Amino acid sequence: MSADPMLSLSHVDAGYGETGILTDVSLDVGEGEVVSLVGRNGAGKTTTLRSIVGIVEPTAGSIEYRGDAITGLDAVDTAKRGIALVPEERRIFPELTVRENLELAAYGGATDADGLSIDAVLDTFENLADRTDNDGASLSGGEQQMLTIGRALVSGADCILLDEPTEGLAPYIVQDVMNAVRDLNERGITVLLVEQNVHVALELADRNYVLDRGEIVWEGGSSELEADEDVLDRYLGVSL
Amino acid sequence: MVAGTSHLLVEGLGPAFLDGALAIWIERLLNGLTVGVGYVLVAAGLSVIFGVMHVINFAHGELYALGAFFALAVVGTLTPIFGGGIAFVAALLIAPLLVGLVGMAMERFTIQPLYGRNPLYHILLTFGFVIVITDLIKIIWGTANRPPIPRPDVITGPISILGTTVNTYSLFTLAFGGVLTVCVWALLEHTRFGLIVRAGSQDRQMIKNLGIDIDHYYSLVFGLGAALAAIAGIILAGERGVSPGMGGNIIIPAFVIVVLGGLGSFKGAAIGGLFVGVLEESILKVFFSEIAGMVIFFLMIGVLMVRPQGLFGTELEEGGGELLTGRGGGFLADGTRFKLGLAMVALLAVLPLLAGSVFSTYYVTLLVRILLWALFALSLDFVMGYTGLVSLGHVLFWGLGAYVTSVVLVHATASAFVALAIALALGALVAWVVGYFSIRVHGVYFAMITLAFAELFYRLVQDVDAALGWELTGGSDGLFGISSYYGIGGVGIELDEIALFVGPFSLTGTELFFYIALGALVAAFLITRRMLQSPFGSVLVAIRENEERARFLGYDPTVYKRRAFVVSGVFATLAGSLFVFEQGFVTPGSVHWLKSGELIVMVLLGGMGTLFGPILGAFAFFGLEEALIEYTDRWQLVLGTIFILFVIFLPRGLVSLPEKLASLVSERGSNEPEPEPTADIRPGEDD
Repeated sequence: MSADPMLSLSHVDAGYGETGILTDVSLDVGEGEVVSLVGRNGAGKTTTLRSIVGIVEPTAGSIEYRGDAITGLDAVDTAKRGIALVPEERRIFPELTVRENLELAAYGGATDADGLSIDAVLDTFENLADRTDNDGASLSGGEQQMLTIGRALVSGADCILLDEPTEGLAPYIVQDVMNAVRDLNERGITVLLVEQNVHVALELADRNYVLDRGEIVWEGGSSELEADEDVLDRYLGVSL
Repeated sequence: MVAGTSHLLVEGLGPAFLDGALAIWIERLLNGLTVGVGYVLVAAGLSVIFGVMHVINFAHGELYALGAFFALAVVGTLTPIFGGGIAFVAALLIAPLLVGLVGMAMERFTIQPLYGRNPLYHILLTFGFVIVITDLIKIIWGTANRPPIPRPDVITGPISILGTTVNTYSLFTLAFGGVLTVCVWALLEHTRFGLIVRAGSQDRQMIKNLGIDIDHYYSLVFGLGAALAAIAGIILAGERGVSPGMGGNIIIPAFVIVVLGGLGSFKGAAIGGLFVGVLEESILKVFFSEIAGMVIFFLMIGVLMVRPQGLFGTELEEGGGELLTGRGGGFLADGTRFKLGLAMVALLAVLPLLAGSVFSTYYVTLLVRILLWALFALSLDFVMGYTGLVSLGHVLFWGLGAYVTSVVLVHATASAFVALAIALALGALVAWVVGYFSIRVHGVYFAMITLAFAELFYRLVQDVDAALGWELTGGSDGLFGISSYYGIGGVGIELDEIALFVGPFSLTGTELFFYIALGALVAAFLITRRMLQSPFGSVLVAIRENEERARFLGYDPTVYKRRAFVVSGVFATLAGSLFVFEQGFVTPGSVHWLKSGELIVMVLLGGMGTLFGPILGAFAFFGLEEALIEYTDRWQLVLGTIFILFVIFLPRGLVSLPEKLASLVSERGSNEPEPEPTADIRPGEDD
């Protein structure tokens, strides 16, 4: 990781209403890295992503992106700065066609950079290319996930926050999604990946953070995490 | 349904090529389509505004009226300078632009602060605008009905096509409206603006995540909808004339169309508008004129039950912010409040004794009216504040009580007891039936279906006489000079014949009736409070807080809501029935949808979900009206404005005022409104 992280959270507290979810969360993501955030259901992974993009406003701490404080900026501002959230439910616009979904992402997104062209994205995701005029609602789960990643690509985002991209997908499609994430990263895009599937996280990530009850309890490389049976068992409930 | 629809077509001159029947049908169809085009333009704006912002704009009809009045002003100013043709074209451009700006300002300054709150608050806010804009129109242009906007000669007069004679203006309306509709459709389907607007209506948070500032687009959409309504106002006013009431006449058909086509669907509004126009003008008014007004409400209720999202709509996501009740806003302990309530009742109880000597007996009549409306408001609070059912048609029960009582007294027996008993029994029955059909749909759809039932009844009391061929309800005049006695079988007393002497005071009929009204209100309050303290009440609150969880606990929400709705309906019927005993007359005006709006105003003004709040609200509403009338003819403008401010700044009502003030005083600078759940964070998405 470089000296100046691209995205950095320091001592962030956040939650909904009076319920606190995150306590003193600090994490760094370096430019070009794939960093995973793993933890059990309800650990605060999605809330962390939402705090970064400004859907949830942190009650304490600060968030920096490329050296600028972005704490408390709203979702529109963070997206314009080049951070793209791919939410867990994918949030494809159900009544817009595949092409329209991509066009919309191209209108929005990072203001300083041009993303991939829509045609380039369709070249990358062949099964989407066959369905450009289909409504978002008619896509399968895997196709929808490809489309969300495609949206992030055309938006010109430099940093993509992926929330459980493999959830609910068949194993062979999980492979496709993992390949797509690798592809993103090879294009120089930084990825912060939230996963419940530790295997996916370990395989994709350079570094990992383990979140438990709103606190970061462990951080380190994938091979270290793989070796640390105690952490795996205690915080993630898996044995490899 | 729209009063005074004129024949848009000149009587046929006789068919040259076409056979007579066909020519007549073409004429009828053209009539329907012409009205339909106006409907399309109004409904399209209404629907798109709802689709994108989830705002039900009750003031849409007023924007339509404003368009016609602006056009009238533009034509009046420009005709002497440029001539009628240019003036009319200029009006078609300038007036919609102005109304569009009014719409944008409305959205920007009043509606935008409310995003994230329950859609009810938008209904209430725009209802405030109905009151304000209607009154503004009356201030500026007067209350008189005006003739049609002068049109250039080119588009007036008959023209012969294929041997049948049609009105040129109809053709102009069809062509102009058709082209405009296609333009708007193209704007929505084939431009970046349209893409963003459509996406915004599907998922507001995600479009923000994509870095698109949808808030800017909201104002534009509202402005566009307002401008379309204005254009409809101008083209229909070119035929029908201009009146301050024209907005109130168009809004209900517009709602019917939007519901039929699907809330939020442009295509639905376009097809629905033409369909309803043709159905009303070409078929119902020609063949079934007696029941023409009612049919579309049956259609509306049917569609809401079978397919609430309408023919072309998609199902809406639920909710969007909770209703803000006044609970917990009390500054007094329950015990203190009880004593205060007791003191208030005691004070009210001695007032009639002083009437005639200390103050005018007029105030006793006023107080009776307030007490009955307080009872009515209490009844609505019981369902709205405690089960979250926003009934937009509660005037149905008031009207039912009033009409059934009147009909029994006039046609059957003058016994108040019998009339009251029949009214209450029917009130319970109708509440059960309406509840049975309505409670299966949620949120906005429930509001719409209750509105439809109320409008159905509103038409029924006016049309039933003509349909039956004998006088039952007195048609659009209503029933007058209704008297009754308190007794049964001819044995009893008439209040007006009594003068009761209590020491140095005398009590007349009205003053005695005051005690009946006060007793009814106190009894209703105690009964509903007792019910809410019982397990039944706990289940109701549980359902309001989280319907799904209540269901998992084994309570069927539909059954409980329906019971609450019946209780509410009976108390509302009681209020309407008592109103007739006091007033001695009933008119269809008692069932107008504006009354439902005023009722909700009272409930909210006082504080929803408290039972005593709405009672305060009724006193505040009429007190304010009474005080304002003293100083200004335009009291509605002031009342409407106050109400708009309430919705924005004090949604929990008067009962929350002490708490609000206390927090303002104690925490300097912290005048942020209490945190309200935003619609953007949808439940059930936590990790």
